[in-house]
Amino acid sequence: MFLDLTEEQKLIQDTARDFARVELEPAAAALDQGGDRSPLLANLKKLAELGFMGLNVKGEYGGSETGVVSFSLAVTEIARACASTAVTVSVNNMVAEVIQAVGSEEQRNAYIPKICSGEFSAGGFALTETGAGSDPAGMCTQAVDDGDSWVLNGAKIFITSAPYAGVFVVWAVTDKEAPKGKGISCFLVEAGTKGLIIGKEEKKMGQHASATNEVIFDDCRIPKSALMGKRNDGFRIAAGELAGGRIGIGSLGLGVGLAAMDYATRYVTERSQFGQKLSNFQAIQWMIADAYTELEAARLLLMSAACRKEFGRSFAKEASMAKMFATEAANKACYSALQMLGGYGYTQDFPVERYARDARITSIYEGTNEIQRLIISREILKNIS
Amino acid sequence: MKLLVCIKQVPDLESRFKPDAAGVWYNETDLAFRMNEYDEYAVEQAVQLREKLGEGTELTVLSIGPDRVVEALKKALAMGCDNAAHIQDPAASGKDPWQIASIIAAYAKDKGFDVIFTGMQSQDRGSAQVGVTIAEQLGLACTTTIVSFDYDNGTITAKRELEGGIKGVVKLKTPALVTCQLGLNVPRYPTLPNIMKAKKKEITAIPVVELLREEALATTASFHPPAKKGGGIVLEGDVSDLVDKVIAILKDKTAVLR
Repeated sequence: MFLDLTEEQKLIQDTARDFARVELEPAAAALDQGGDRSPLLANLKKLAELGFMGLNVKGEYGGSETGVVSFSLAVTEIARACASTAVTVSVNNMVAEVIQAVGSEEQRNAYIPKICSGEFSAGGFALTETGAGSDPAGMCTQAVDDGDSWVLNGAKIFITSAPYAGVFVVWAVTDKEAPKGKGISCFLVEAGTKGLIIGKEEKKMGQHASATNEVIFDDCRIPKSALMGKRNDGFRIAAGELAGGRIGIGSLGLGVGLAAMDYATRYVTERSQFGQKLSNFQAIQWMIADAYTELEAARLLLMSAACRKEFGRSFAKEASMAKMFATEAANKACYSALQMLGGYGYTQDFPVERYARDARITSIYEGTNEIQRLIISREILKNIS
Repeated sequence: MKLLVCIKQVPDLESRFKPDAAGVWYNETDLAFRMNEYDEYAVEQAVQLREKLGEGTELTVLSIGPDRVVEALKKALAMGCDNAAHIQDPAASGKDPWQIASIIAAYAKDKGFDVIFTGMQSQDRGSAQVGVTIAEQLGLACTTTIVSFDYDNGTITAKRELEGGIKGVVKLKTPALVTCQLGLNVPRYPTLPNIMKAKKKEITAIPVVELLREEALATTASFHPPAKKGGGIVLEGDVSDLVDKVIAILKDKTAVLR
C-alpha cells in the first residue's frame, strides 16, 4: 500500500490551493456578510475555466477526467478558503456526473458542457421537499404524462444555487399507485421554463454566499425528451448519485475544519496569558492533537471512499462513513478552534466564527449524519443476516 | 523557432528549514516543493511567446534535480511547454552555480535554441548567476531582471528593472537569454485538462554524468540559522543612572563610543 498522491493529483491540489488563497480567501468574509453575490459568480466562472466543474466528467463533455480523488482534494482546498464556493463546486460536479451517468447522449451534450465551461454558473439538484427530506421517497411533486410533454406540479425546498442554475435535475412522482420509491422519475428542467418559479431564498446560519431557495413548479410543461433515465427509476438514480455527493460534502467539511484549526493553532502560538504563550498550556495542546488526529482520520476515510469510486468498486458505505466522520470532525475542530480564540473567536473580526457557522450544515445536508449511520449499519447488517 | 525555459524546484518558503547532516545545505525531509517563483514568470513568458509564434515553434522546459522535480516539469508542461528535459541529479543541491550553468550549457549547445528564459534567481540559493553564466558559456546575448518582454523578427525588446524603481529598455538580437523578474507577467494556473494531458507529453531523462564536465568553483562551507539572540537587557531605575548604564554598555559591547 502506498498512501501518496500522484504527480497529477498533487498539481491539481496545488492549483486549487493557490487559486483559493489568491482568489477566494480575500472575498470570503465579505461574501459571508451578504449583499452582492457577483464575486462568487465571477470566481465560479474562473473555476469552471480551470476545469473544476467536471473533475470526474469525460473530456468529450467538457470535463477534466481527473478522477474522484482529485475531486475530493479540490473541494477540500476550495473549502479552506470559502465554503460557499466549495458547496457550489461540489453540487455542480454532482449534477454533471448524474447527467453523465444516466442522461441520454443528447442530454449529456446539451447540458454537461455548459456546466463544465461555466456558461451555466451552476446546476440544481432538486430532490428535497418540505415533507420529504431524509425520506425523499415521500415526495409529492408530480409529473403527469400529457401526450408530447410532461406537466410538473409541486414544490422543492433547500435547492442550492437555484437563482443562478442553468438546469435542474428534478425528481417527481410519475406513478402514484406504485409502491413507495418505485414510481418516481428524474427530469431535466432548464432555467427560464414557463412554470418554473424560483421561490424565496432561505436566511441561513452560514454558507451565506451560496443561495438556497424554494423551487416551485406551477403547471411547468417540459418536453417528453426531458425525462432522464428510465421512467419510474428515478429514486434509484437519486440514491446512487447522492453517495458521490457525500464525498464532496465530507471533503468540504474537512477543508473548513482544517481552516479553523490552522487559524487557531497559529493564534495560540502568538497570544500570551499568565506570562506565556497559550500553546504552552496542555489544555490547548490536547485540543490541537485531538482535532488534527480526527481531521487526518477524516482525510484517510475520504481518500479511501474516493479511491473506491475511482476504481469502480462499491463505495456507498465508505462515502457515508467519510461524510459522517469528516463533518463531525470538522464541527468539533471548529468548536475547539473558537474555544482557543476565546472571546475573540466569537467576534466577526476573526474568521473562526464563520468557519463554525459554515461547518454546521455539513452534518445535515447531503443526507443527515443520522441517515449516514442508517446506510452504514444497513450495509454491514445485510452481509450478516 | 526553438525556445528553452529553465526551472528549479524549491521548497515552500513558509517551511521550517534545518541544516542537513553535513551542515552545508538544508534538510529536505518533510519539505513541500514547488516551482521557483521567478521561474514561473519565465515559463509564462516562454508560453506566451510560444503561443504568439504558433506552429513550428517548440518550447522545451528543463530542470536539474532528483525525481521529485518531475512534478515541477509537469506543471510547466501543463502551462503550455511542448516537452521536457529532466537532468537527473540527486545531488543537484550540492552543485555551485557554475556547474549548474555548465550542465545546462552542455545540454543546450547543439540544440539551436533561439531564446532561453530563466528566473532571475532561485528562492533557496539565490545566487542569480545561473542565467548569465549559461549565456556566457553559450556566447549568447543576455539581459537580466526583465519586467516586460517583446519579440519581433529576431529582436527582443525587454524592459529591465533597475535600482530605485528606474526602468531601462534593452534590445537584443537572438539567440539570447533573459532572466525574469517579478512584475513581468501573472503566471497562469494550469487548467485541469492540461494537467491531465501533460502526462502524454515527452519528458526526456538525461543522467547528469552525460553533461557534467566542470568542477565546482565555489563550495558552500556552512549552512546555519542565525545564532539565537539573548533575551535583551531591561534597564530600570533613575533616568540619569540609566544614561550612564547605556553609555557603559555601548563602550563595553560596541564600537559606537570609543
